[in-house]
Amino acid sequence: MSTRFLTRRALRRGAVVAVGALVALGGAAATSVPAATAAAPPRNGIVCTTGGTEAGHPVFDLTTRTGYIDLPDGNTAFMWGFSNGFDAFQHPGPVLCVTEGDEVTVILHNTLDVATSIVFPGQEGVRADGVPSQPQVDAGSGMMTGLGQGAAPSTGTVSYTFTATHAGTFLYESGTDPETQVRMGLFGALIVRPAGHADQAYDAASSRFTASEEVMVLLSEIDPFQHAAVEQGKTFNLVNYKARYWLVNGRGYPDSIADNGASWLPSQPYGSLATVKPYDPATHPLPGLARYLSVGSEDYPFHPHGNNGLVVGRDGHPLTSETGQDLSMEKFAINIGPGQTWDVLYKWYDAEDYSPSNPVSVTVPSLANQVVGTFYSGSPYLGDTKELPPGVQTLNQCGEFYIISHNHALFQITSWGVNMTGPITYMRIEPPEPNTCA
Amino acid sequence: MTTSDATTGGPRRTSLSRRRLLGLTGSAALVAGAGGWAGRVLLPEQGAAAAPGPVNLYLAGTDGWMHLPAEPAIPPFHPDPLAPDGLTTYIFGFRNVTGMDTTQRLGQKYKAQHSAPIFWVDQYDEATHNEFRVQLTNLGLELRPDLFDAHTLHWHGFRNVIPFFDGEPSGSVSVPAGREFTYVYRPRDPGTYMFHCHVEDVEHVHMGMTGMVFVRPKQDGQSHTHGGRTFTRFLYNDGDGSTGFDREFSMFLSEVWAEAHWDDAHIQLPEWSDYHADFALLNGRVYPDTVAPNGPGVNPFDVEAGRTFDGAGDLIAPAGHPELKYQPISSLVTCVEGERVALRFANLGFRESAMTVAGMRMRVVGRDATPMRGRDGTDTSYETDTLNIGPGESFDVLVTAPDKVGDGDFDTYYLYNRAFTRSNNLADGGFGGQATEIRVYASGAAGAPGAQAFPNDWGFPA
Repeated sequence: MSTRFLTRRALRRGAVVAVGALVALGGAAATSVPAATAAAPPRNGIVCTTGGTEAGHPVFDLTTRTGYIDLPDGNTAFMWGFSNGFDAFQHPGPVLCVTEGDEVTVILHNTLDVATSIVFPGQEGVRADGVPSQPQVDAGSGMMTGLGQGAAPSTGTVSYTFTATHAGTFLYESGTDPETQVRMGLFGALIVRPAGHADQAYDAASSRFTASEEVMVLLSEIDPFQHAAVEQGKTFNLVNYKARYWLVNGRGYPDSIADNGASWLPSQPYGSLATVKPYDPATHPLPGLARYLSVGSEDYPFHPHGNNGLVVGRDGHPLTSETGQDLSMEKFAINIGPGQTWDVLYKWYDAEDYSPSNPVSVTVPSLANQVVGTFYSGSPYLGDTKELPPGVQTLNQCGEFYIISHNHALFQITSWGVNMTGPITYMRIEPPEPNTCA
Repeated sequence: MTTSDATTGGPRRTSLSRRRLLGLTGSAALVAGAGGWAGRVLLPEQGAAAAPGPVNLYLAGTDGWMHLPAEPAIPPFHPDPLAPDGLTTYIFGFRNVTGMDTTQRLGQKYKAQHSAPIFWVDQYDEATHNEFRVQLTNLGLELRPDLFDAHTLHWHGFRNVIPFFDGEPSGSVSVPAGREFTYVYRPRDPGTYMFHCHVEDVEHVHMGMTGMVFVRPKQDGQSHTHGGRTFTRFLYNDGDGSTGFDREFSMFLSEVWAEAHWDDAHIQLPEWSDYHADFALLNGRVYPDTVAPNGPGVNPFDVEAGRTFDGAGDLIAPAGHPELKYQPISSLVTCVEGERVALRFANLGFRESAMTVAGMRMRVVGRDATPMRGRDGTDTSYETDTLNIGPGESFDVLVTAPDKVGDGDFDTYYLYNRAFTRSNNLADGGFGGQATEIRVYASGAAGAPGAQAFPNDWGFPA
C-alpha cells in the first residue's frame, strides 16, 4: 500500500476545531451583510439554504474556507470549500434554494491564498460586480485565468447576480483553476424551484413530489495526493490524477446515511438517506424527488435498487418536447456524466403487499441458517420484526425496510482499499402508520 | 429429466396444513436439543402456502477457473500458475444445478461458470399466478475456504422488490456455505435485466457472479404485423408489433482485471481504485471464442444428465472447445436475411461500453427494462450505430438482417466495442475482447439456420 499522507486522526480533529474557532471569530467581525439563513435541518432530505428574507431577491454570502473531512477508511482529507455566510468550513458548499424568476445575488468572499471565482453552469446573463461574467485572460501571458471574474487572494470579494429563469437542479463551482479548485471542494448545488410550485421539479404538474422525500445525490471524488500537495504547498502533476475516494454529498458510506448535521461529521453536514413512505393512491400518492449532480471526472452509473427512477429532467431542462410531448424515461441506471444533473422521481410501493397474513409463498428459512444483514428486521414483512439469533445485532428499529442505492462502477464503492464504502446510500421505507418507528 | 419451464408451476395456496404443524413441532424439538434457549428465531416462519412450490431454477454459487488467451502474459497475474490445464483465470460464479441429484449438485463445488446461466421468465399474470422461484445454494469456495463468503441473488432492476428477495445482504439475509434460500418473483415488467451476487459485490461481481435475466411480455403468442412482417414473440407489450422479433440473442458484458482474479486465488487483496479491464467479455468469452458454439446446457430449463451435464453433474464442453467448458454461452448471431433480430445488452463490467454494429442500424426499443415510450405514449425509440452502455444498464435493440449479397455461405457483420482497448486481447493487431459476428444467411438456402430453440441458439440441428 502506498504511503498515506495523513498523520493521526486525533491531531487532525484538533486542527479542524482550532481553524473553525478562528474562522468563526473572523467571520463575526467582518460581516455586515445579513447572512443567508438555513432552516433547522431535517434529519433526512435536502437541507436548503435560503438567501435572506426579501422576496424575489435572495442574497447569499459564500466564503472560501479550508478544512478537513473524514473518509470511510479513517483518513481525513484537506479540502477547500464554500461556507454559508461566514461560517466555518463545510463540504460540500451550502445547497442554495431559490425560486424561478428570483434575482439572485451571490457574494464571494475569498480567504484562500489563491484567487478564486464562481461559475453557475446553466444560468444565463450572470454578472460579476455588475458586468457580464466572462472568461478572464491574462494580458501578459495570454493564458486564461478563470471562467469568470474572480476574487483576489485572501481578501477579495466579488458579487455575482443573475435571474434564475429556469427551474431545475444546477451546480455552482469554482471557475478558477477548476481542475484543482473544484476537486478541492469548491462546489455546491443550486436548486431553482418553480414559482408558486415549490413541490414540483419543473413547471409541469407531472413533476410534483413529496417535500419530505426530496433528496440530493451529489457525487464527487478525491485523489488524496492532490489534496496533500495543495495542503503542503507543493505542485501536483495533473497527469497523475487518480481518484481513490468517491463520495455522495461529501460523505462516504456508512457516514453517508448518518443524519444531516451529525455531530461526528462537523464539516460534512449533508446525509443522503432517503426516508419514504410506501406509495398509496389515497394517502401517499406523490413520489419523492432525487436530485443527482456530479462534479466527478467520469460517468458515475448510480443504481437505485427496488425502484426505477423516472427521469423528468436533466441539466435544468424538463424532459418534454417543444410541443409538450412527454420524453421522461424510467431507468434503473442513472448514468450521470461530469457536470450533469438529473432530476429523478422515485417511489416505492408494496407491489405484493406481503405481510404475516399474506405471506411469501416459500418457507422462510431459520435465521440461524442465514447471514443476517445489519439493517434486517428478522422478518420479510414491512413493519414486522423477529427476534434475532443470539449475538446477532440489527440497527432495524420498527420493521422498516432498507433498500440500497449505489454507484455500480463497483470499484468506486471503495475507499483506497476499504471495500463497500463510498457512494452508497439507502432508501428507508417506513411502515404504514401507526408504527413504532422513532 | 426435464424440469418445468417458467410458464408452469407456482404454488397452490392452502390453509394451514398438517405438514406445517409437523414442521414447527420438529424444529422446536431441535431448538430444545441444541441449547435450551427458546427464541422464536429458529422456528421456520412458514406461510399459508404449506408446501413450497417446485422451484423453476436451482442455482449454486462457488468458485472455479475459466479460459482467457494466455498470450500475451501479464506477469505474474496472467495466466495464473495455479490454473488447471487449459484454464487461466480464477473466478467465482453461478452454476445451474437444476435437475441434479444431491451428489451431482455438491460435486459442482469448484466448477463455476462464467458468465452465469441466462434465464428468462414469463411476465407475472394474476390469473395463472405464475410466480418464478429460484433456489440458491452456496457450495463454498474450494480454493479459498478461509473466506467463508455468503452469496445472494440480486435481480438488478426488479421493481418494488421487498428486501427479503432483493439479495442485498445488509437489508436482508444472505446464504452461507451449505445453506439454501429460495427467491420468489412476480415479474410484472417485461424487459432485459441482469442478476448478480450482492455480497461483497465489488469482489463477487467482478469475479464473475453475474448474468442476464429477462422477462417475456404477456403479449407473446399474439400475432402482430409490423413493418410488413408478422411476429409472435416480442420484447414488450407494445400493442403493435414494433418490438417483435424472429430471433433473440443476449449480449452480456463483463470484464476481467487479471490482477484482482490472481489476488483472490493467491490470498491477496487488490487495490480496487487501481481497477482496469484487461479483458472485456461478451457472455463470458473474448473474441474469437465468442463465436464458438454453445455448450449443451445453455437452456437452463432443459436439463438432462448425460445430455446437458455429465453423469457427475459437470458441464459438457462446447463441441471442439474443451477450454470453454466453463464458458458455455456463445455470442454468435445467426439469422436469415429479412429477419428481425433482438439483441439484449446488459453491462455488469465497471466501465461504459460502446457496442457498435458495422453495416446495420440498431433501433433502441427498450432501456433498463422499460419500453421507449414517454408517459403520454410518445415514441422515444431511436436508431443508432453505437450503444453506450454504462455499468448496470440494459438496452433492447432490434436489427433487421439485410439481404445476403456476398458469395460465401453467409455475410458477416461485426459487433464490437468501439472503445478499442476492450475489443482486443491485449495483443497488437486483430480484434478480440468484447466482439462477435452477425452472420446473415440467404433465405431458403441449404445450411441456413432453422427456428431458434432458445435465446442465443444458432438454429442449426445439434
